[in-house]
Amino acid sequence: MADRKPPEDALSDLRRRVAEARGEGASNAPPPQSAAGLALRFGGEFGAAIIVGALLGFGADYFLHSGPWGLMIGFGLGFAAGVVNVVRTAQAYNRAHPPSPNAPSIPDDED
Amino acid sequence: MSNDPIHQFHTNNTVDAPIAQLPGPFGDLAFNDAALFMVAATGLTAAFFWWAMRPAALVPGRAQVVAETGYNFIHGMVRDAAGDEGVKRFFPFVFTLFLWIFAANMLGMFPYFFTPTSQIVVTATMALMVFFTVIVVGIAKNGFKFFKLFVPSGVPWYILWFVVIIEVISFFSRPLSHAVRLWANILAGHLVLKVFAGFVPMIATAGLVGIVGAILPLGMTVGLYALEFLVAFLQAYVFALLTCIYLNDALHPGH
Repeated sequence: MADRKPPEDALSDLRRRVAEARGEGASNAPPPQSAAGLALRFGGEFGAAIIVGALLGFGADYFLHSGPWGLMIGFGLGFAAGVVNVVRTAQAYNRAHPPSPNAPSIPDDED
Repeated sequence: MSNDPIHQFHTNNTVDAPIAQLPGPFGDLAFNDAALFMVAATGLTAAFFWWAMRPAALVPGRAQVVAETGYNFIHGMVRDAAGDEGVKRFFPFVFTLFLWIFAANMLGMFPYFFTPTSQIVVTATMALMVFFTVIVVGIAKNGFKFFKLFVPSGVPWYILWFVVIIEVISFFSRPLSHAVRLWANILAGHLVLKVFAGFVPMIATAGLVGIVGAILPLGMTVGLYALEFLVAFLQAYVFALLTCIYLNDALHPGH
């Protein structure tokens, strides 16, 4: 031990070299997700946001005595949040599973 | 044994040992089937890792390879999703969640066994644990900057208030979807399995034609069973992966 590096540095150095030697995470590809699991995931994201939005609106009604308006507005906001959730999930999924470059393109009505 | 597909989710007190008397209408705190199989999942996981890693050999044996592969798999996942800091802070938590859900799901694959992850109390407890960890760690580490999570940059001010409301709702919907996903997958899988398995004796009682016809739902049951093994692993993985993604928000708020 001629070099006096702190142990943290030496450890991260070792970790880097081990990762390089191993070819960095080749064995760590995520398993393919079944179509039903994916559908359930999108549906869950969407539904959960609607339920939470409606509950928040209902809670506002309960404390402010503001009639059905909180529930209605909360429902709408929950719907919007659900769409945001689904879009985020889809984006994350597409990033993790990029489409094959050789896949045929989907025909567009505009063309 | 009834043909009712819901029957398998009843939390009976097979081991009849009331732990404590609770006040009022709550009755006694019983050690029910769900608790029994949760303890079994914990104990089996701990026992396997203790047994597999006991030699701690430089050239690992078969059991040690399995244990180390599982460790590396989740280690790599946490590092990819939450970075090196995430590994340092949260790896034990995520690895414990993954192993426990996986063990509970796999125990549930035995006929007549109870599946703790088919109860939403169990999955909701874990999802809320993650949710509050994100909030506590996020505020402790980033202070007020944690709330940048709800305020995306580059949005004009006249629409920002609306986006903030939606982000807050989206944030609070996370524990719900996190819990429901695992619960619904396991519940639905076990229900479908029991429904198709229930068809076999029903059709087989209709004489010789029935016995031949019962091969169809029997084959379906075998196929679904294989699928359920995949689901048992995949849902444990997805739960752990989403945990990492949410915990990453605690470390690095702001999009």
